Amino acid sequence: MATIFKTISSDDITSTRTLLHENVPVTGTIVSGTYADSNIKEYTHGMFQSVYDYPYLSSSANHLFDLTCGYSNNSPLSASTTPTQNSKKINIYGQMAQVLVGYDTTGSVLDFDQDGDLSGGNKIQEAYFINVSRLLAKDELKRGTFSLIVGSGSLWTDPFDAVQLTIADHGADTNYRSSSPAGDFAVLYTASAPFYEDSGVGLLYYQAGVAVLTASLFGDVGMNSADEDAQAVLTGSKIDANADAIRHRMNSLTFNNTIELNSTIYFCNANHNEFNYSSNPTYLSSSSIRVKDGDPQNSPSSYITSVGLYSADNELLATAKVSEPLKKDPSSTLTLRVRLDY
Amino acid sequence: MAFLDNSGDIIIDAVLTDTGRYRLAKGDGSFKIAKFALGDDEIDYELFDPSDGDANADLEIMQTPILEAFTNNASSLKSKLVSIPRNNILYMPVLMTNNKKQNALNGDLNMYVVATDETTENNTDQTLAPFLYGENFNNGKNLRIDQGIDTPAISPKFSIESDLEETQYIIEIDNRLGSIVSQTGPAARIAYIDDDNVASYYLTMGTDQSYVTKNASTTTAGEIIRGPRGTTLTFSIQSSIELNTSTYLFTQLGSSGETMTGVNGNFSYIDTTVRIQGATTGAQIDLPVRFIKSE
Repeated sequence: MATIFKTISSDDITSTRTLLHENVPVTGTIVSGTYADSNIKEYTHGMFQSVYDYPYLSSSANHLFDLTCGYSNNSPLSASTTPTQNSKKINIYGQMAQVLVGYDTTGSVLDFDQDGDLSGGNKIQEAYFINVSRLLAKDELKRGTFSLIVGSGSLWTDPFDAVQLTIADHGADTNYRSSSPAGDFAVLYTASAPFYEDSGVGLLYYQAGVAVLTASLFGDVGMNSADEDAQAVLTGSKIDANADAIRHRMNSLTFNNTIELNSTIYFCNANHNEFNYSSNPTYLSSSSIRVKDGDPQNSPSSYITSVGLYSADNELLATAKVSEPLKKDPSSTLTLRVRLDY
Repeated sequence: MAFLDNSGDIIIDAVLTDTGRYRLAKGDGSFKIAKFALGDDEIDYELFDPSDGDANADLEIMQTPILEAFTNNASSLKSKLVSIPRNNILYMPVLMTNNKKQNALNGDLNMYVVATDETTENNTDQTLAPFLYGENFNNGKNLRIDQGIDTPAISPKFSIESDLEETQYIIEIDNRLGSIVSQTGPAARIAYIDDDNVASYYLTMGTDQSYVTKNASTTTAGEIIRGPRGTTLTFSIQSSIELNTSTYLFTQLGSSGETMTGVNGNFSYIDTTVRIQGATTGAQIDLPVRFIKSE
């Protein structure tokens, strides 16, 4: 009996999971300078600022990340005199803490913890947030690859004249936390500081794609054209102005993202006595098989260029192509591993 | 110590077809891969040249560049490879239109012409050109497809080998234009309609006796297959209600103001292709069909 289909049994199907990584470098000139801020999108609500890789009015622009800032209800800044956008900054901090840190036993939102544990210690109560877009972060950031270089020059006009700080998740490929409701996270350190409990300058949430930087990192440097320090700008200026300050001091941001690729592999086995003939209209000349050259004792042969995966009712669900024709004759067997990614 | 030959194990990436994506999106479990087929759409076997010697006979075939995968399910795997356990076969069966017993082919157009409504049928003259009738299909012509080994080298008195006899046919037709019917039995049942509105009919010998019959003739009279004969597929085309009652699709997909021998007055028309494939041997044939409607 001639057949054109071959059944795929459960033994011919397997699934795999592959992690793909891309390196994402963002230079400081894109964040501040190259496009004269036409790639920076501000909103009327003023709660965050979006950074694009090209003027955002262009359809070619890609969203890179959002910048915002805030402080906790428990922060002394929340009680300072005439703070600008006070409630919005508290709300932003509360929202980020609620999602990234979670609640205590009474249902109150916890503050960000400097060393990442929940047992007490120093808290990050005034913070800048870098929310990486899903376009760049993909499924998650890769642990141990985050690096943010910021200028620590004291003057606004020359932010990169002093030693630049490299803020990174040092050692996070083997040392990270999982106590966040948003997944894994690690403590960010500056390269110049030793890695001890209270030397952390922020937290990095891998699945959420959010970096939290303590405002104390910029405690004594000019964060606006009047060279006010971070505390003064956090209370006296809008969120957009604080985002401008962070962008102004960003030298570069690099990380690797992660894509989880789930694949199903179908093993398509062509045994020695299968698929040696073709229904191609050119295969026959007056019903005679061309490749036999008139001799029935010659072996039949065919040339595979594609594989079709079908449903039980013969609907073509997926196709795959080989890079060059594969000869099939009775002296050969083939196993084509057809991978379908999800 | 030499390296192991791993050339027999090849990994290739598949893409979902539009039907595959549609079924996956439905989420009703209809996306389930159950079987596979191999295709050789790009191969031109006429390039096989035995005079070049065994080593070089298929040199040009092996150099054929391969196209990337189509995601349209109707455009992929048009010609499939066939499994036949025997290796000593010299002849394979083909499908051919038999215009001797049922001359439905319009010789001027080299197409099969379907009058889509009774008005158009009344404007045709079967003595001048053959027509299929889309409304009163019992009064029009039939289409007949013969299967067998078309060679003068073997007498038709020999029976076709049982593993080469086609017992099931798949007919694909644009469901917006027409459907498959029989002049002697019930209308064929649609197996499924894909996302491109192409309806597939499965017609099986024994089950669909008004469509598929054994061709027992051993003479040449009225036959198109010169060698051993297998089965015969006979059917008519009924025009869709939309073509029968409306000119919308003629405006969308066709043209107007046409004239031809055997039709009184101008008509609008839509050209399409009806594909017939043997479900077991994979042999196939495309029939060019023109639907006409008097203006």
